[in-house]
Amino acid sequence: MKGFEFFEPTTLAEASQLFAQEHTQLLAGGTDLVIGMKALTEAPQSVISLQKIPGLAGVITEADGSISVGAMTKVREVELSADVQKHHAALAEGAAEIGSIQIRNLATIGGNIAHASPAADTVAGLLVADAQVDIASADGERSVPIDELFTGPGQTVLTPGEIITRFRLPSPSSGSHYIKHKIREVMDLAFIGVAAAVNLDNGTITDARIGLAAVAPTPIRATEAENLLRGNELTEELLEQAGEAAAAASSPISDLRCSAEHRREMVDVLTRRTLQEAVARA
Amino acid sequence: MSEYTVVGQTVARVDAVEKVTGAAQYGADVHPAGMLYGKIVRSKQAHANILSIDTSEAEKLPGVRAIITQDDVPSGRRVFATDKVLYLGEPLAAVAATDPDIAEEAAELIKIEYEVLPVVQDVMEAIKASAPRLQSDAAKDGPNRREISAQIRKLSRDKENDHSDEISKLEAALEEYPDEVYYNISAESHSEAGDVEKGFAESDVVVEDTYVIPRVHQTYMEPHVSVASADSSGKVTVWASTQGPFAIRSGIAGTLGIPLTQINVIGTTMGGGFGGRFGVIITHVPAVLLSQKTGRPVRVQMTREEEFIDGRPAPGCVIKIKTGATNDGQILAREALAFWDSGSVSGASIGSTIRVRGVYKIPNLKVDAYGVHTNKSGTAAYRAPGAPQAIFAGESQLDEIADRIGMDPVKFRLMNMREEGDPVPAGANEPKVGYKETLEAVADAAGWWDREAGENQGWGVAVGDWTNGCGPGGVYVSVHEDGSARIFHGSMDITGTDTMISQITAEILTIPYESVTIRRGDTDSAPYSTGSGGSVVTFTMGNTAKLAAEDAHRRILELASERLNMNVDNLELKDGAVHVISADPPKSISLGELAAYSLSTTGGPIVGKGSFARQASTPALAAQIAKVEVDPDTGRTRVLKLVASQDVGYAINPMAVEGQIEGGTVQGYAWAMMEEMQYGENGNINPGFVDYRVPTSADLPTVESVIVEVPAPNGPYGAKGVGEPPITPTLATMANAVKDAIGVRITELPIKPEKVVEALKSNGH
Ligand SMILES: Cc1cc2nc3c(=O)[nH]c(=O)nc-3n(C[C@H](O)[C@H](O)[C@H](O)COP(=O)(O)OP(=O)(O)OC[C@H]3O[C@@H](n4cnc5c(N)ncnc54)[C@H](O)[C@@H]3O)c2cc1C
Repeated sequence: MKGFEFFEPTTLAEASQLFAQEHTQLLAGGTDLVIGMKALTEAPQSVISLQKIPGLAGVITEADGSISVGAMTKVREVELSADVQKHHAALAEGAAEIGSIQIRNLATIGGNIAHASPAADTVAGLLVADAQVDIASADGERSVPIDELFTGPGQTVLTPGEIITRFRLPSPSSGSHYIKHKIREVMDLAFIGVAAAVNLDNGTITDARIGLAAVAPTPIRATEAENLLRGNELTEELLEQAGEAAAAASSPISDLRCSAEHRREMVDVLTRRTLQEAVARA
Repeated sequence: MSEYTVVGQTVARVDAVEKVTGAAQYGADVHPAGMLYGKIVRSKQAHANILSIDTSEAEKLPGVRAIITQDDVPSGRRVFATDKVLYLGEPLAAVAATDPDIAEEAAELIKIEYEVLPVVQDVMEAIKASAPRLQSDAAKDGPNRREISAQIRKLSRDKENDHSDEISKLEAALEEYPDEVYYNISAESHSEAGDVEKGFAESDVVVEDTYVIPRVHQTYMEPHVSVASADSSGKVTVWASTQGPFAIRSGIAGTLGIPLTQINVIGTTMGGGFGGRFGVIITHVPAVLLSQKTGRPVRVQMTREEEFIDGRPAPGCVIKIKTGATNDGQILAREALAFWDSGSVSGASIGSTIRVRGVYKIPNLKVDAYGVHTNKSGTAAYRAPGAPQAIFAGESQLDEIADRIGMDPVKFRLMNMREEGDPVPAGANEPKVGYKETLEAVADAAGWWDREAGENQGWGVAVGDWTNGCGPGGVYVSVHEDGSARIFHGSMDITGTDTMISQITAEILTIPYESVTIRRGDTDSAPYSTGSGGSVVTFTMGNTAKLAAEDAHRRILELASERLNMNVDNLELKDGAVHVISADPPKSISLGELAAYSLSTTGGPIVGKGSFARQASTPALAAQIAKVEVDPDTGRTRVLKLVASQDVGYAINPMAVEGQIEGGTVQGYAWAMMEEMQYGENGNINPGFVDYRVPTSADLPTVESVIVEVPAPNGPYGAKGVGEPPITPTLATMANAVKDAIGVRITELPIKPEKVVEALKSNGH
């Protein structure tokens, strides 16, 4: 690891100012950053901890009943939050898929998203929750929809000094589910991840959202498949069409984990499975 | 009731407290004053000529104390590559610095100019004429071709006669052997019994397949580490995390030309070994060289990534195998041709190809094995080296035969298993063994005979055999005035062997296990001991400890005879005291009293000595049954049940034995289902635990172990080595269970979800 300066600001403004400098990195839980620094793929000259800034952690139920999750909320807390489990099961299940309990007690949801790995396990759940990402900087605040946050592997629209503060989850679904395709039961990275969320009215799907991880340069929504579902009842045939449409929306790569073809097939299989489960839960 | 009180019992390990509290001193805990940090500079190319190595920038970095290359190896023995590298990660130089980060930075500053050469990673490509040749000795061109070439060379040397006609005929003949000409061969091994062609001709069913087994890493928890300290007199001390301190001592002596007894190797507590912790050059030699050059102690410690790119893992292997049997289930012939991926050095494990014969009466057997050079690091032992690979092929194919002739896989195996006195194909006659007992035990325990399988579920069985090695060892036992005994020896404890030695000593001296303590010496102080590998320790050190304790026992009776003025024939050692046999009133003298008395006798203190090297070992069988459920859409496999039985001869510490059975079985499961070192154009591409998956406790149910005891005539209390056998059948057990579940045979490990999906598709799913 290279040497670096360490800062522990107590306000967002201060953190943002420091972070606007070149060669800086934010430290949330450190489970991505420190590993990168040890491997020398990251060599920041300054590391700015977010841990002393109040108000960034915790799951909050807002006045309108919607939920928001602070960026510094531990992944373990997201996993165990009764509110998240109830209204955004796919997010809680995604959080539960990350590493081990020890890792989840360190890792934050903000870090999982800001790291911008296409395989991040909380991302599909946030996509199907239509999450809004609140961002703060010395220049003020803004909010972007989660599906506009990512621009490529490890790349986001965040500009120097911008810090994610909170994920707002405006539209609770009546049922959602996340499945991670992996080899090892725990402590494995997603070969692919699929989340589905649906709202039902008398058996008719009024809204459907499908989020896909690790099948494209950024996490994506399978909008074609969603459109097929909206306004219909879930039949075997529709499931198949939705699976195929989601697979068609993906543009996976072949790598050491598996082939692109396998990933695409699993999008099909797991889209059908997550949808079925989401509908059953709705 | 057992006649024994301490052996045969589960006791807490002697090192339990230090392991649990963290007090155990591992290699990386050693930190002599003034210690420097070493770092090995490694090739970034998998195959290249080295044009230059420029250390000048690195030398200027503050904190760098020494940089060494092959020029600094006085003996000239190859430690670092000079003109050519054969794999990614091959050592080229080493740095010592005051801080590990500086050492790392210096290593990066060393400029190496490469001329990149074509790379070959796949054994089946490497044996082709079109493959780049990796070693000059690898111009070996397969058996027939070699014979003919030798003849041609001989004829050409004869300058007195004209052989040109003959030579051109032979050269033409050379052309006729394209299929049997293998390139990049590093070693070969051939065995034959009977006549396979005749056996196949007489068979009703003949099955032929090719099995592919990946290279896997031993993944011991503690990476290689050594700390070396060379003093001004030339004396070298090495703290080494190794399975064999004496082997490391002679290895360093041989490599660096240092007199043997000028080297003291201190074995540190080991975080696993599994056969991979015997290497001399890997960290120990560079540490010594750096210490000699700087005059300071130097630690060389590998990272996990270095372990993967420059460890000595188990070789992968491609095995073409053919078996013939009659319709009523008699195996008549088997033939195997194996290509072992040896990497850059000569072929470890290839001799184990013979294990395809299994424990069956196969009258006709032919086995040909080749080690093949590829652009990978060399390989070494991994728990029953070579056996899991060969047995995977043999036992998978056995199920295919059973399937064809419609016989139950357990019955088919039982019917063909060898018994005492049966000839072993290409071997000696079978001693008394527990093959059938062990297989029957696992079948009963697993509920094989009334097994049920739901949709996508399947059952698999396989057996694997292995025979423990043995080697030299020495043990001293002293008895003290408080009646306790102290053992002194030089063997490394990885699996609980110090506990086993303590139990045997307590048993012979008739004292409680708690009254025995054990201390391991370094190579300067302890008697010679063979390395802790090859399942040797219980066999060797158990026998040695028994001899030492018996020697002490003899001296104890001698002292009691003197003290009580009785003939030794009237004395017996029992419950920690010497008793006069059938004395009325009872008469005895305690061990403590005798030890105190001994101090003022002519014969002196009670010191038992045991020395042992070699006696015939007896084969052991591991038999396993798995029940799995496969998700046909995602290809993921879940293990529902895994039962492992093993003929251990005699379980000196049953809990330790179960631990070995469970551990070996889990490693076999991992090899079958997920572990695999992957290679790209430029070497290993998964050098870490993110993409090299070892299972966690969430992946498996508890392995149910079943201990079978058919005593080994020469083992201590009948014990056999238990460490290696349990990994041998699991690869096939899993593959057979998956086959039973999905109806398609997967011949290439690991059985990853993608392969299952592909296999099902090829079968019309
Ligand atoms: C053993 C192990 C297993 C793992 N398994 C998984 C897994 O199964 N699935 C998975 O998805 N991940 C996994 N990870 C990765 C990692 O744990 C997660 O991505 C985690 O959520 C990262 O959060 P963190 O708080 O530790 O981030 P940090 O490492 O502290 O930060 C990561 C990056 O995000 C930036 N950042 C952090 N917070 C903010 C913020 N509020 N605003 C802007 N930028 C910010 C930092 O600058 C840094 O670049 C694993 C990691 C380890 C070590």
